[in-house]
Amino acid sequence: MNLSFLSPIYLLGLLGIAVPVLIHLLTRRQQKRLRFSAVYLLFKSQKRSIKKSTPNRLLLLLIRCLAVALLSLALAHPLFSFGGPADLIPVKPSANVFILDDSYSMALSSGDKTLYDKAVHAVLKPIGKIPAGSAFSIVLASQPTRVLQGWTEDSTLAEKILKATKPSFKTTSIGEALTQALELLEEAPQKEKRIHVFTDLDKNGWNAEDFPESEKQQNTPVKILDFSHLKTGDNRAAVKNVEVSQEFLTNSRVIRVKSKVLNLEGRALNNLNITLSVNGKEQSRNTISLKANETVEKEFTFPIKVNEPISGTIQVADDSLGVDNKRFFSYQPDQKIKVLVVDGDPKTVAHQRETFYLENALSPFSVALSNIDLTVSTLEQLPERNLFDFSVLVLCNVSDLPFGYEIELEKYAMRGGALFITLGDQIDPKYYNEKLGNLLPVTIQSLNQVDRQSDPFRLKLEKSDHPVLKIFTGKSLQEMQSIRFYSLYSVEGRDNREFTVPLWFSNKYPAVVESEFGKGKVILYVTSIDRDWNNFPIQPTFLPWIQRWIKYSARGLESIQRQDLLIGEPFVWKEAIPGTALFVKFPSGKITQLIPIDGEASFNATFRPGVYSLFRGEREASGKSESEETRAQPVTSLPENALPAGAFTVNVNTRESEGGKISEEEIKNILGNLPVEISQGGDVDQAIAASKGFPLATPFLLLVAGMLFWEGWVVRRE
Amino acid sequence: MEEKETFAYEPEVLARISALKIRALKLVEGLLSGNHRSRHKGSSVEFAEYKDYSPGDEIRHIDWKVVGKTDKYHVKQFEQSTNLKCTILLDASGSMGYVSPNETGMTKMDYARTLVASLSCLLLKQFDAVGLTLFNDQVVQHIPPRSKTSHLQHILHGLSTIEPQGVTRIDQVVGSLVERLQSRSMLILVSDLLAKEDDIYKDLKLLVSRGLEVVLFHILHPDEVSLPFEGDFIFESLEDDPDIGLDPQDIREEYQKVVQKQIESYKKQCLGLGVDYVFLETTTPLDQALSYYLLKRQSLSKV
Repeated sequence: MNLSFLSPIYLLGLLGIAVPVLIHLLTRRQQKRLRFSAVYLLFKSQKRSIKKSTPNRLLLLLIRCLAVALLSLALAHPLFSFGGPADLIPVKPSANVFILDDSYSMALSSGDKTLYDKAVHAVLKPIGKIPAGSAFSIVLASQPTRVLQGWTEDSTLAEKILKATKPSFKTTSIGEALTQALELLEEAPQKEKRIHVFTDLDKNGWNAEDFPESEKQQNTPVKILDFSHLKTGDNRAAVKNVEVSQEFLTNSRVIRVKSKVLNLEGRALNNLNITLSVNGKEQSRNTISLKANETVEKEFTFPIKVNEPISGTIQVADDSLGVDNKRFFSYQPDQKIKVLVVDGDPKTVAHQRETFYLENALSPFSVALSNIDLTVSTLEQLPERNLFDFSVLVLCNVSDLPFGYEIELEKYAMRGGALFITLGDQIDPKYYNEKLGNLLPVTIQSLNQVDRQSDPFRLKLEKSDHPVLKIFTGKSLQEMQSIRFYSLYSVEGRDNREFTVPLWFSNKYPAVVESEFGKGKVILYVTSIDRDWNNFPIQPTFLPWIQRWIKYSARGLESIQRQDLLIGEPFVWKEAIPGTALFVKFPSGKITQLIPIDGEASFNATFRPGVYSLFRGEREASGKSESEETRAQPVTSLPENALPAGAFTVNVNTRESEGGKISEEEIKNILGNLPVEISQGGDVDQAIAASKGFPLATPFLLLVAGMLFWEGWVVRRE
Repeated sequence: MEEKETFAYEPEVLARISALKIRALKLVEGLLSGNHRSRHKGSSVEFAEYKDYSPGDEIRHIDWKVVGKTDKYHVKQFEQSTNLKCTILLDASGSMGYVSPNETGMTKMDYARTLVASLSCLLLKQFDAVGLTLFNDQVVQHIPPRSKTSHLQHILHGLSTIEPQGVTRIDQVVGSLVERLQSRSMLILVSDLLAKEDDIYKDLKLLVSRGLEVVLFHILHPDEVSLPFEGDFIFESLEDDPDIGLDPQDIREEYQKVVQKQIESYKKQCLGLGVDYVFLETTTPLDQALSYYLLKRQSLSKV
């Protein structure tokens, strides 16, 4: 038999018994002594009298003391059970898996500690008392789940390990953890097997798909200790999403930060502070009001002076769970791209020039606005230019290059320059096929022409994943449909050359051919860039289309910046250049070198929210051969020649905050046949008592009421 | 008990005696003066009646004049008036020493003393013989009856030296005393009758059966009748009962019933035995009590 209390702090109320005792002592009448003659008559009368005063007052004292004691006992949530408290781990040899939910929702505050601390404390208790022959292991339930401690009987080591852990920033997956626990139990020799889950019952951790049928058929008892009731504050709000964009073609460089804030409480939140910080400084502060369970979008805009990478946070006022109140973002405003355009068909009349439309598209109003610094050159001036000053070289309808200049071009492309070639009436296909054979993966075949009256060539348009073309959807795609092409060159791929065709004509001729050359790119556009062969330059889609191609070829388009990851998601880098490495600088300052394998590098250690900076640099020499090298290596410092290559952010998945608590019924549905027992965590002893015990609070309160009634009656009778 | 003609007067006792005497005399002065007639016939100056001579009658009481006239022997009978012997039995047990915590008037013992002194005074004034016996569970002091006026001094001294103590055992006292008492004398018993083991009825019956005229003065303090105390008390017995702690309020009603029942029962028993029963609370003025009693006696004797 065991009497335990869920809130033993209220037992301090037992001190209140002093109050009736004091009242009794203070109101006690002084007993006087009197020498009296007829004492035997007093005895005689007392025997006959029903009233007995002294016991009455003692009775009152007793009743009052009992009432106070019962009240404090009732408040302390007494639980009566026949079983002893050492029941979490049975006395006979058993195998126990402790699944500890270390998801970020367990970081919810509980007094001056967190739910996780309480859960760890609760795990440590039974571990410390583990009987001989029993073994335990500990599984952490945040996704991806992992075994913190394999089968052991040594509680001291496990205690050390457990105490060193902290709640992660990850989400929960009880299903995975249970699978892992069941696998562990299969290895265990003990007959008695148990699983104990210490969690806050966050709905997010319970996905029916995570529980395979085979699991549900097992009969290992699962005891779930719920710690959610121990929280001392609510997780009121979370920043769900942050999007950063740059206002396009306005008269200033304005960054727009859009954030979605989620009210997690069942009531309205008024005047919630929301703060935008950029590069470590508070940029803007505002308040928002959210209705119950509403998501509100809040937009901040601010100008930037220089096109430098920015990173920052959107943060709402702190609540009990601070992890989801802050969301990181990083953004790389477009950098200035220096473009050299070579006009192969210069005219004195401006609009007849081959590059007229291109020039206007790339710098529509001024250089400052488009980030493209355009330099137009004639073919004659070309050899005088230093190609390496430019990121992109655009050859527009150039018939042939100065003698031997193709070697220059190859060097330029090899070192990372981008070559964008457009064709036209001036070009000499023979020259292109012979001299530029290294650069172009295709040969230029024949000129295909149609009359202006007859049916023109049209682009074959479909939704594309290509970084340049993916923005053209819906209306813009329809608009592109109307572009008329009257002349174009057909091309044919060279043997053993790799190239891609991101854009086709409807007659299956390639429109754009893209290929890699060294560190650079070569892009061939098979028709003219002016209006001679098509009407594309006067279409509204021409401007973004050509701007994106130029930026893309200069590798300025798909900035790595755009990667916004969730905790645990891998960062993937696809545009790896052989021989280089990417260095990831953690928010904590630690640096890891990523070595690409097959042009791709990935990074998995995204366990903390924050901004991870990226640097491109020469690969650090290591003694190992390439095959032995791991994909990620920690390094002490960045190499000297490392250049900033952007950043990516890692944020928590707010699904963990949004879910709310799962009900007992739902759990039982999900777990199928697995025998489940759910009780409130806190103190393990209490939890077990709670699971088995009979709550005495109500009977005690009834007794209190009874006592007070009795007391009133006795006082009245007196 | 040794009779003393002279006393070694202590000043305190003397003061008490004189106070008692003054009180007693004052009381008696105002009372009815006159004879205390006896129902018994005896040698006296006052002629009562003639009766035929029968052998055994004193020859000196034959009225020769009547013999001369009628030639019949008649004997003169006289009222006996001076040969009354009265013994006062005063209870000197512990219970008589009760002093109320808020005493204003006379204590119970004082009241009893004054009563006895007054009675003695009264009787002596009528040339009756008065004796005093003090007792608790036995006879403490015995002053035999004398009719000398100076005998009052002995009695007063006896009264003044009483130290109430011990347990009341009237039966024992009566048992030992009854032989000493002259039959046809008077016995005045003054007591609070607070004796748990006594059957007063038996004692009275014994006395009455010896031809004694018994008067019972039952004296109680009002505290003992009504139990008027407020608060918690531990009552310590003046005799041999154990202590009792209680709130008198709780048992007052019951107590009063018990006391009244006891008084009623004494009254009834006395009436049955032909004993004069006088219940006195110490607050009852003594003269009133005495005059009431004497009136009653007189009316009885005249019947």
